Amino acid sequence: MKNTNKLLCDRSSVSYKAKRLFKRNWSGWLLMLPGLLLFLFFVWAPLAQNVVLSFSETKGFESVGFNNFENYTRVFHDPLFTKALLNTFKYIFWSIIIGFLVPIFLGLLLSEVVHLKSFIRLGIYFPSIVSGIAVVIMWSYLLDPNPGAVLNQLLSALGIPASQFLSNPKLTIPLIVVTMTWRGAGGTVLVYLSALQNIDNSQYEAARMDGAGAMSRIWHVTLPHIKPTIRMLFILQIISVFQVFYEPLVMTSGGPDGASVSLLLLSYQYAFKSFDAGASAATGVILAVIIIALTIVYLRLSKPKKDKVARKWRKYAQTSAK
Amino acid sequence: MLKRLQSKSSGILTAADYKKVGFRIVYWVILFILLVAVLTALIPVLWLFISSFKDASELTSTPYHLFPEAFSLKKLAEVWNMLNFWQYFLNTIIVVVGAVLCSVVFNGLLAYVFAIVKPKGYKIFFGLVMASYMIPALMSIVPLYQQIIDFGLINTYIPLWFMFGANAYYLIMFKNYFESLPKALFEAAEMDKCGKFRAFFKVVIPMSRPIIGVVAIFTMTAAWSDFLLPYLVLNDDSMMTVMVKIYNIQSTMGSIDGFGPDKLLMILTISILPQIVIFALFQKQITGSSAAGAVKE
Repeated sequence: MKNTNKLLCDRSSVSYKAKRLFKRNWSGWLLMLPGLLLFLFFVWAPLAQNVVLSFSETKGFESVGFNNFENYTRVFHDPLFTKALLNTFKYIFWSIIIGFLVPIFLGLLLSEVVHLKSFIRLGIYFPSIVSGIAVVIMWSYLLDPNPGAVLNQLLSALGIPASQFLSNPKLTIPLIVVTMTWRGAGGTVLVYLSALQNIDNSQYEAARMDGAGAMSRIWHVTLPHIKPTIRMLFILQIISVFQVFYEPLVMTSGGPDGASVSLLLLSYQYAFKSFDAGASAATGVILAVIIIALTIVYLRLSKPKKDKVARKWRKYAQTSAK
Repeated sequence: MLKRLQSKSSGILTAADYKKVGFRIVYWVILFILLVAVLTALIPVLWLFISSFKDASELTSTPYHLFPEAFSLKKLAEVWNMLNFWQYFLNTIIVVVGAVLCSVVFNGLLAYVFAIVKPKGYKIFFGLVMASYMIPALMSIVPLYQQIIDFGLINTYIPLWFMFGANAYYLIMFKNYFESLPKALFEAAEMDKCGKFRAFFKVVIPMSRPIIGVVAIFTMTAAWSDFLLPYLVLNDDSMMTVMVKIYNIQSTMGSIDGFGPDKLLMILTISILPQIVIFALFQKQITGSSAAGAVKE
C-alpha cells in the first residue's frame, strides 16, 4: 500500500512526466496543427515523394517500383541536361554582373540624392508590381527580332545592324537576365536604401574629421555597414537564379536549341511534355542538392564572423575577470 | 534647387563637399543616372500601353511610328467582350481573397506558436520549415499535382488558397514581428485565463496590424501573379484566372480566329491596370514593406 502510493506520487515516473508534458503543451500543439498540416501537404510530402519518385520506375506520375539510379543515369546521358546545367552557371554569371551589381549601385546613388527622391523610389520600384507573366510576355514583344519591331528600329536608327535578340543563342540568357532584373531590381534597391539610411551619420562625420575623401568614406564606412545586406542578397540572388523558370518557358521555351533551358524548366518539360516523372524528379533532386550544398558553403563562409565575436567576447570576459 | 544641396547634412557627401564644383557636377550626374533608371523602368510599360492600341500591321511598320493612328477605346471593349474578361477577373479576385485570408491566418498562427507559445518540440518543426525554405516549391510540382488529383481538388480553388498558408517567408516575417512585441502583453493575456487560441485573436492580431498589412499585400500581388499551379489545377475555362488565361492565349494564339499579337498586348494592358491601381492606393505600404524584408520571388 505504501509502495503504490509512493509510485503514484513519484514525480519522476514516466507516466507523470508524460501527463505533465501533455498538459502544458497540448494547446500549443493544437495551434500548430493546421499550419503544419498545410506545410505537410504543400511542401514536405511532395518533397519526400519527389525523392522517392527519383529512384522509381514511374507510370503516369506515380511510382511502380524502385529502379535504383536508372532515372539519374538517364538524365545524365541526356545532352539537354548537360546544357541546362551549364546554362545554370551562365545564368548565375549574368545575374551577378547585371542583377546583383545594378541594385547596389542604384541604392548607393539613391541614398545620396535630395531631389525627387520619392518620385525616383516609386519609379524604380514600379516594375516589381507588374505580374511576372505579363512582364515576360511584354518583353518578348519588345525583343521581337522582326527588323520592323521597336528595338531593331531603334538600333537601325543608331546605325547598329538588326539583332536576333532571344533567337541568338549568345544573347538569350543575358536578355532573360535583363528582363528579370528589370522587374526585380526595384525591390532590392529599396532593401539597400533602408540599410544605407540606417548608417549612423556620426561615422561619416568622424571619417570626414580624419580627412577621408568621398571614395574612402564609401570604402571604410558605407560598404562595411551594408556588407551583411550585400552578403544576404548575394546568396538569395544565386538561389533565385536556380528557380529561373517562367522566363525561358514563355520567352523561348528553353530555346534556341536548349540555349536558355534551366534545370527547373527541364524538370517541368520532362514531367509535362515527355511525361517522364522519374527524370523530372531526378532533375529536381539534383537541383535541391546543389542548392543545399551552396547554402552550406554560404553558412561556412559567413561563420568566421561569429568566431570573431566569440573571440572578442572571451577577451572581454578575461579582462573583466582580472 | 541648390538650396537643398546646401542644407544636406548627412550621408557620404554633404554640403561641405558640395561647395566644390567637382562634387556638384558629380551630384547632377548621379541625379541624371537615376532619372535614366526611372525611365528604363517606366518606358516598357508605357510602350505596351501605347502599342496595345495599334493594329497588327502597325506593330512592325517601317518607318516605325511610336503612336498608333488612333486611340480607339473600341478595341479595348472588343477584346474585353470577345474574351468575356469579367469572368477571369472575378475568378482572380476569388483566388486572391482566399489566398490572403489563408496566408494571414495560417502563417500568423504558426508563427505565433513558434515565437510565443513555444510548446515542447516546436524547434523540430521550425527547423523543418527553415530547411524547406531554400528549396524552390516548383521543384516538387509533380507529386504536389498528383496529390491534388488524389484529393479530388483538381479544378477547385482550394489548393490555390491553402498553398499560401504554408509559406516560410511570410511565416518568418510574422515570427520576427511577434518576437519584437512586448512580452508583458502575452503574460497579461495568460493571467486573464484567456486561452492561447483566444489570445491570438484578442491580443496578437489587433497588435499586428502593420505586419498583417505587409503580408496581405505581398500575398495579394503574389496570388494575382501566380501562374503555374493555377495553370495545372484549373482546367475549366470558366474557372481560369487572368494570368492563366493570358498564358493560355499566348501559347495557343495561332488557333484563335482573328486574334493577333496586337490583341494580346491589349490584354496585357488590361491585366496590368488593376495592379497599378493597387500600387497607387498602397504605395507607401508597398515600398515601405519591401524594404522591411528582402523580397525575392
